[in-house]
Amino acid sequence: MTIDRPLVRRELRDAVRRYWFLVNAGAFAVAGLLFVLFGDTGSMLVGSRGYARALAGLMQLALVFVPLMALVPSVVAIAGEREAGTLDYLLAQPLTRTRVFVDKWTGVGTAVVLSVLVGLGFTAVAAALKGVPGGRIAALMGLTVLLALAFVSLGMWLSALTTSRTKATSLGLTVWLLLVGLGSLGVMSAFVQWGVPAGALEAWALVNPIEAYRLAAIAILDPEAGVLGAVGQALLEALGVAGLVAASVASLAAWSGAAFLLGRRAFSRPDRRGPGRTPARSTT
Amino acid sequence: MIRAADLHKRYGDLVVLDGLDFEIARGERVAFLGANGAGKTTLFRCLLGLTDFDGALAVDGHAAGPAGEEVRRRVGYVPQLPPVYDLSLDGFVDLFAGLRGVSREAAAERLADLGLSLEETGGKEMGELSGGMLQKAYLAMALAAETPALLLDEPTASLDPASRREFVRLLQEVDGDATMLLASHRLEEIEPLADRLVVLHRGRIAFDGALEELWATAGMTAGLWIAAPPAEREALARELRRNPAVRAVHPNGTGVRIDADEADHLDVLERLRRSDVPVVEFRTRPPALEEVLAKLVGEDGEGPR
Repeated sequence: MTIDRPLVRRELRDAVRRYWFLVNAGAFAVAGLLFVLFGDTGSMLVGSRGYARALAGLMQLALVFVPLMALVPSVVAIAGEREAGTLDYLLAQPLTRTRVFVDKWTGVGTAVVLSVLVGLGFTAVAAALKGVPGGRIAALMGLTVLLALAFVSLGMWLSALTTSRTKATSLGLTVWLLLVGLGSLGVMSAFVQWGVPAGALEAWALVNPIEAYRLAAIAILDPEAGVLGAVGQALLEALGVAGLVAASVASLAAWSGAAFLLGRRAFSRPDRRGPGRTPARSTT
Repeated sequence: MIRAADLHKRYGDLVVLDGLDFEIARGERVAFLGANGAGKTTLFRCLLGLTDFDGALAVDGHAAGPAGEEVRRRVGYVPQLPPVYDLSLDGFVDLFAGLRGVSREAAAERLADLGLSLEETGGKEMGELSGGMLQKAYLAMALAAETPALLLDEPTASLDPASRREFVRLLQEVDGDATMLLASHRLEEIEPLADRLVVLHRGRIAFDGALEELWATAGMTAGLWIAAPPAEREALARELRRNPAVRAVHPNGTGVRIDADEADHLDVLERLRRSDVPVVEFRTRPPALEEVLAKLVGEDGEGPR
C-alpha cells in the first residue's frame, strides 16, 4: 500500500523505526494473553462469563496503558520538532499549518491504533477461542481504538502548546496521572464521602475519558460483574447498557474531536518567538 | 515579483522590522546585509509565513504570511543552519521531494549535480553527514523544486572556506531567471552572486543599490596591498609614507596595505618602481564589508552618517 501523504508516511516510518511501536504492541499482546489464559483462574465463574471477567481485567490494564501509549509519541510530535529546529523548514514548504497538523495526527494516530490492534489482536483471538462472543471482542477493540485516538488528540494539542519535548512530556504525564487518578474508584468513593453530589460524579465519570472507557468496557463485557462501582452502577440503572455505552463512546469521540480542534487552532497561530538560532537536531 | 510595503514586525517591545518598502523584480539577485539582529532573518521568516507581521508582503501578488501556501510554493529555501532530521538522506529526500511534488529522480539528479550520490549516501543518517553535505542536500531540494525564487539565509555559515567557494560556484550556475534573495555577511559570496545590495539597520533600509555604490556612499574605495622582501618592508613603508597620494599605511602580514584613491593606485606603483624598493607582489583589495557597513550606519550603530 502506498500512502500519498509524505508527512503521514514519515510519521508511520518513524514509529516503525523506533522501538515504541513494537514494544507497545508486544507488551500489550503478552499482557492480554496472560489475562485471557490465566485471568479466570480462581474465579468461580466458568465458560465465556469467566473469560469476560478476565477480559475486564485486561481492560483495567488498557485504560492505564493505552492512554500512555498514545500520549508518549503524540506529545513530542510537534514540540520535539519545534525544539530541534526542524519545524520551521517543514512549515517553509507549500503546506498549510492545518495540513501539517492533520497529517501528523493521522500518522501518529495510525501508528498508535495499529500497535493497539496488533497487541489486542492476539488477545482477541485467544478470547474468541475460549468462547467470548466475537461481537463483544470487536466492540471492545473499537472502544480501545477510540480511547487511543482521544489521547492522541490530547497529546497533539499539548504538543502544539509547548516548545520542548521535556515540557510536553511532563505536561502529558501530568494530565494522564490526573485523569487516571481522578477516575479511580478510591477517589470517587472519597468524593462521595465529601458530599459531592451524585449527579456531578456521574457527569465526571462520563467526561473523564478513562472512566468513560472503563464503564463502557465493563458494560460491554459483563455489566453484572459488580465492578462498575457505585457511580457506574447508578449510570447503568439510569441509561441502561446501550445508553451507557453510547454515552461513553460519545464522550471519547468528543474528547478526540475537541482536543484535535483545539490542537489545530493552537498550531495554526504562528510562533511568537524570535528567529534565534535553534539546535539542529531532530528528535521526532 | 516580491513587494514589501510598510512592513513591520515586533517581538514584544523589540522592533525588528520598522516599515520596510522594497520591490524585487524577477531574476534580480539581491543580498540583504546587516549586523546580527538587523532584521534579515526575520524578513525571510515573514516571507515564508513562519511569523506574522503588519504591512504588506507579497510574491507574484500572493500575500505572504502563515496562510501563504502559494508564496511558499514559489520560494525555495536554504536555511542558515541546516536542521538535522532524524532521517536518512533517503528519508529526507522522500519527505521533502514528496511535499514539493518533485520526483525522487529529479531530486537525485540535483544531488548528483552537487556531488552527492543518493545511491552511495542515501542510507546515511542526516546526523552522519558533514555540514557541507547537509547544505548541499538542502540546496538540492530547493533547486529540484525549480521555484521562481530562492531564499538563501546565510547558506554558507557552517561551511569551511573550500566548501564555501564550491557552494558559491554552484549558486552562480543557478538558472538566470531565478530571483535570488541572499542574507549574508561575506563579500566573497555577495560579490559574485548579487547585483543589488540592501543594507538593513535596526529594521530599516540603510542602503539599496549596487556594491560599488555602497562603497561610494560609505566614502570608501578599494585598497592596495603591496609586498616587498622581508628586509625591505620598512623601506617600502617609508617610501609609501612619502607619497602624498597615500593617506595611510598599514603594515599587513608580509606586505603593506595603503589607503589611496583608486585613481592613484597606478601612480603609487609607478613611483615605487622608480625607487630602489623592490616590489614582489601587489593586489587591489575591496574594503572590508564590516568597515563599509560600520561607516554607513555609523561606527556606534546610531544611524547613517
